[in-house]
Amino acid sequence: MTKRRLGVFICQCGGNISDFVDTEQLRQSIEKNSLVMVAQVNMFTCSDAGQQNIITEIINKNLDGIVVASCSPKLHLNTFRAVTRRAGLNEYQYVHVNLREQCSWAHTHDKKAATEKGLRLIRAGIAKVSLANSLEKLRVKTLPHALVIGAGVAGLRAALALSDIGVGVHLVEKNHHAGGMVLQWGKMFPNDKKGSYVIKHLLNEIHRRENITLFTNAELLEKTGHIGDFSVKVRLGNNDTISLKVGSIIVATGFDTYIPQSGEYGYGLTGVITLSEYEELLASSMETLQYNGKEIKTVTYIYCVGSRENTKTDKPHLYCSRYCCSATSHAAKCTSEMNPDIRQFHLFRDVRTYGKYEQLYEKARNNGSIFLRFDEKSPPQVKEEKGRLIVRVKDILTGGEEIEIDSDLVVLVTGMVPRENAGLVNILKLPVGKDGFFNEIHTKLRPVETVIDGVFICGTSQGPKNLAESVTSAMAAVSKTGALLLKGYVDLEPFVAKVNADLCTWCGNCAKACPYSAIEQTIFNGKQVAIVSPVLCKGEGACVPTCPKQAIDLEGYTNRQIESMIDALAKEVINEKTDA
Amino acid sequence: MDYDVLIIGAGVSGMESALTLGDMGFKVLLVEKKASIGGNMILLSKVFPTLDCASCISTPKMAATANHPNIKILINTEIESVYSNNGNGFMVNLVRKSTFIDLAKCTGCAQCETTCTVAIADEFNANLIARRAAHIAFPQAVPKKATIDRRGSSPCSYTCPAGVKPHGYVSLVRAGKYDEAFKQHLDDAPLPGCLSRACYAPCEEECTRGYHDGMDGNVSIRSIKRFMVDRYYKNHSEPSYGPPEKLNGKKVAIVGSGPTGLTAAYFLTKSGYSVTIFELKSEPGGIMRWGIPPYRLPKNVLARDIKNITALGVEIRTNFKINSLDSLRQFDTIFVASGSTGGRKLAVHGEDKTGIIDCIDFLYGINSGFPLNIKGKKTVVIGGGNVAIDCARSALRLGAADVHLFCLESREEMPAHKWEIQEAIDEGVSINCHWGVRQIRNDGINVTGVDFIGCSSIFDKDNRFNPKYDETMCTSVETGIIIVAIGLKPNTTIFSEEIALNRNGKILVNTETLQTSLPHVFAGGDAVTGPANIVKSIGQGKRAAFFIDRYLQGRDMNERFDERMPMVDRDEIISHAGDNVSLRKPVISNKITISERLKTFEEFEATMTEEQARYSANLCLDCGGCSQCRQCVSTCPAGAISLDMQPEKQNLSVGSVAIATGFQVFDARNKPSLGFGRFPNVINGMQMDRILAPTRPYNAVVRPSDGKAPSNIAFVLCTGSRDETAGNRLCSRVCCMYSLKQAQLLMGALPLADITIYYIDIRTFGKGYEEFYQQAKGMAVNFVKGKVARIEEIDNQDLLVYYEDIEGKDGSKKSMHDLVVLSVGMLPVSGAAKMFKNSSLLIDESSYIKEIDEDLEPGRTSIDGVFAIGSATAVRDIPDTILHSGAVASQIAAYLQKAKGRSKP
Repeated sequence: MTKRRLGVFICQCGGNISDFVDTEQLRQSIEKNSLVMVAQVNMFTCSDAGQQNIITEIINKNLDGIVVASCSPKLHLNTFRAVTRRAGLNEYQYVHVNLREQCSWAHTHDKKAATEKGLRLIRAGIAKVSLANSLEKLRVKTLPHALVIGAGVAGLRAALALSDIGVGVHLVEKNHHAGGMVLQWGKMFPNDKKGSYVIKHLLNEIHRRENITLFTNAELLEKTGHIGDFSVKVRLGNNDTISLKVGSIIVATGFDTYIPQSGEYGYGLTGVITLSEYEELLASSMETLQYNGKEIKTVTYIYCVGSRENTKTDKPHLYCSRYCCSATSHAAKCTSEMNPDIRQFHLFRDVRTYGKYEQLYEKARNNGSIFLRFDEKSPPQVKEEKGRLIVRVKDILTGGEEIEIDSDLVVLVTGMVPRENAGLVNILKLPVGKDGFFNEIHTKLRPVETVIDGVFICGTSQGPKNLAESVTSAMAAVSKTGALLLKGYVDLEPFVAKVNADLCTWCGNCAKACPYSAIEQTIFNGKQVAIVSPVLCKGEGACVPTCPKQAIDLEGYTNRQIESMIDALAKEVINEKTDA
Repeated sequence: MDYDVLIIGAGVSGMESALTLGDMGFKVLLVEKKASIGGNMILLSKVFPTLDCASCISTPKMAATANHPNIKILINTEIESVYSNNGNGFMVNLVRKSTFIDLAKCTGCAQCETTCTVAIADEFNANLIARRAAHIAFPQAVPKKATIDRRGSSPCSYTCPAGVKPHGYVSLVRAGKYDEAFKQHLDDAPLPGCLSRACYAPCEEECTRGYHDGMDGNVSIRSIKRFMVDRYYKNHSEPSYGPPEKLNGKKVAIVGSGPTGLTAAYFLTKSGYSVTIFELKSEPGGIMRWGIPPYRLPKNVLARDIKNITALGVEIRTNFKINSLDSLRQFDTIFVASGSTGGRKLAVHGEDKTGIIDCIDFLYGINSGFPLNIKGKKTVVIGGGNVAIDCARSALRLGAADVHLFCLESREEMPAHKWEIQEAIDEGVSINCHWGVRQIRNDGINVTGVDFIGCSSIFDKDNRFNPKYDETMCTSVETGIIIVAIGLKPNTTIFSEEIALNRNGKILVNTETLQTSLPHVFAGGDAVTGPANIVKSIGQGKRAAFFIDRYLQGRDMNERFDERMPMVDRDEIISHAGDNVSLRKPVISNKITISERLKTFEEFEATMTEEQARYSANLCLDCGGCSQCRQCVSTCPAGAISLDMQPEKQNLSVGSVAIATGFQVFDARNKPSLGFGRFPNVINGMQMDRILAPTRPYNAVVRPSDGKAPSNIAFVLCTGSRDETAGNRLCSRVCCMYSLKQAQLLMGALPLADITIYYIDIRTFGKGYEEFYQQAKGMAVNFVKGKVARIEEIDNQDLLVYYEDIEGKDGSKKSMHDLVVLSVGMLPVSGAAKMFKNSSLLIDESSYIKEIDEDLEPGRTSIDGVFAIGSATAVRDIPDTILHSGAVASQIAAYLQKAKGRSKP
């Protein structure tokens, strides 16, 4: 093999790295390596100028491999692969060294040690790239079909949007009918649209589409295959199952309403109801507001029930449920519209009518709603006394005075909680966050994508959202699906196991070790050997150590590469003046 | 169709939609009015709630956008109009603004930045520090290209009749680049010495500092020029250049060596012509040599100025009388710049008597070394112009007993410059206004006095010269010397046979090209305009050279000469500069005493010292941004800069349009009680984000007034949000979170600092936001529920915050902080609706673009095929903006698919 010609580009990350790692010292040390033709420090290597610079160096210095030492590869691996490609070099001749998350940020207290570690990390990167093979991505065809799980408003709207862009949809709903939570709601904020109307409108359109199939009373049982080409099994009704082929999966399984514990703010007493129940009451009332046959003259709302529970010790919901302040302000508006004489008291902690919804809050106040602020540590007390519901609250705004509200109805403004979905989580390997909702990869960079390629999440399965926000995220998932499937193919990482058939004697160890059933037996030159299906192989490497003949290796992470990286990492940093 | 979709605005929403649509295979045109894509997000420090570095999130998006095969980016571009083609896409007219940089050549090396002489508030750093006029928007800009920030012509440069750019040389002097300043002037006009003395300096009259009453008067532009010229001439007694290496073989004759002729000769020679000047008198210079008295223009300065022209190889034939144009027929072109001659007559009785002197003859006598002997004699000067003043002041210097100036005009109407009149009075000239000459008294041979008659007005209602006399007013003066200075005549009579003249004897020309009735003869200066002044004459000479060159090269004569950018709005400059303008007094240059100065014809005003000149140059407000000092032009290694670059228009057809024009930050000056813009240590949220960012302005967290690390910081939430008095009733959604973020970052940077957040409600509603709030509480950020009423500054520039403590018992309170951050909100950007010419884009009641069905159809607007993304429709934080961008991308894709279906047969 001819001597490698390498370039090393060290990023300061505008101080994120260089404040703790002496990048110039690293550069000087690395420069001495005889394989290194270029060693540079940049303020932002990822900037356009930084990228152009790498391309120029690759071309001018005829480099055949590069190392970029910057942030986490999660952020910029693809960026620099594209740079390498644009310079005419195979993108796998580039190795990423994480000098930020794994070095500068982790060792902010010790600049010298961080610098030393940085040197070791870069050396390992150099070791890896100097043994790198040029690889080609595995291109697989994608199917122009998507599976949408959940036919609430997010799932329905996603299905229509997919159909609009030419992607066929299998829409799977666990319940007997589509429509989810929205179906049962009356006028919703801020546009006063009725939930049932919204769902009816969407369903009518769904039924008109030839490329959407809606399965109700159905459930996902199994998923195999890979991004662009999944095989799924769906239970239909009680017994039937059906197999479907889809290119991607969108999860829109929604939320559950928080159900207060018995006794929580008087829950269980007659006249203490949740916001959902109140919404239903409002929707079904025509001219007068009645509960249990009794006319309602005073309504007291208690906010943040089941949300922002910082003082609760048993499985608290720490998050804010986002929609409830606006929804309650809107409910108050609808109540006043029905009967302006109904007195409404809002016991709140912070009124979070963000953005345009501030107008709802303003309207509620203008319509006579009284807002009283309480402290989480001394929550309102709801008691039944002599047949009346009495709410006592220490009102912060009047200096902590205790106020007694004689109420006909107490509405507990309950938040959203994650839906119990263990089966689905297990089948799709969905990541679940601390709050119990599904987790996206990155709220800003990839907000509807999961770590499982080809599986997207949206709507309230991700966290509390209102109608418009659910729909928006559903359609964001649609556009990501479109970007994936409309091209007709997807390129997969070529980091797959490879069998050296000359050495293999087929003992079957590797096939047993593979969790993806990617290894099979075949005949090569008249003998039994193992063969790997590159599409099924996930590059996990479980097979590699099981081979007694060392006949199986992992592309991109060969044994030789790993060993030389370990050597480089372990090598002492003794005299960096003479040694790199 | 040129593109499937046009996206207007390349902030995070525009980029995200572009990337998604590009990935789907659509061709995207992404238009950004600024110099880089990236929008507001790239300005931020870290982003909530994950505290990712904003650069680290933005730059991959920016790079991916820039390198996407389906995305074409146009920066510095604005959309002028969009026409809907009835469901068949849109016609778009866009303007690619000139940034005076050839983007194809610019390598982003930032050499221009280092040589630029103008500092401007840096928007990227929320105006906390300055950047150069030539600059790269920010370190991670995509594409990384320079921009010259030229907002228009500075009033001084816009005004100069000779096309000299005072802003340019003033900024060079400010930078200590004196030789460059001189050379910059020489590029624009060849007689800097004369102009530095005898120019009436219209630039100074237009200077914003003088124009505005609140300041202490204009920048002393002419004195700065004099400093730079004198310094250069002292070190360079000869020009540093010689004749051009190559001449084009064509010959030009110029009649007259005044400022017009010399200037034309200078520029024509530089263009490669062989120029010969024919001068009647014994030395060149015209009015500058023979008219202006030496105390105003020393003759050695003129002589050195003329070397600038003769060094190029221009031949000046003195004592040469031209009798006809025909005698110059061996030349390819003739330029007549014969100037003015002998004075006008009073046309009154007694004018032919001895003792009456024409002003030109009087001044010629002084300048030729044979002055009239009027020592001890009472002298009367008639006329109210500059020449009259020159005569009067010269008469004093010749020892006249007393000098009386009589003119028709009032003091205000006198054509002489105000300061000249004032100096004349100071020196002892008595100025007598509203008097016309009735007759010259005489004894048959010599004059003995003058009879004056009152003049009640000099202009009629059409503003024509038509003096009205008042017979009831009269006066008389006894005198033996009367200098008549009531106007000059064009010196053109000898040409009247060959080219057309008007009634007053001025040569008739095309005023644009200065071509006369004979195509190969051009004329300019006083011979064309009537008596003017040096700087206008130089302008004429320059114009003539431009068109003579075009004529001789056979090029289009319709080309515009010396096109200048429109002048900037001075009121706007003042309001922008605001409190940052230091009100320092202009320098008063040293003058010798009046009794001393009257003894000689020497200059009586000293040249500014270097210190004075730089101090004076420092007063310049850089009104137009770029000063046109041209340092960048010569420095740029790629030759990418051209200050003549014009905007370019382009028409395109697109399938759909998406508006992603983002938001604007509330201007906290609209809440005057909070002191933003008045108190340096009251900053806004954007400024705090910059202070905390990796590309931060101060490289540390310090407060602006004195660089002290703050130890007690306050945040005032809802500044300009939820506030009808500030014109915005809506909640801005992001301010609670960004303030919590900044509070946490500050806790990291300044562990000992106290941080107080004044709030109405803490609105941490998004995923992970409430947890973020609790985290800040856990870090001991002090939360005070209460609205801040006002902020006052105390002596050490700390701030007294008055607020209502709602949770406490005491009601209104005050509290001391050393830095206050106003958590300003976001406002809509207007102007989108105006782009659509034949369709109507609906705007909602809060001035955002209306989504016709925000619940189910995100981003759809009232126009089919037009979409709005991100904060264009409502304030959004970054996560919600990204989601919205994705959703709208699917809407656009659906629209385009449908359109494709329709267009299929």
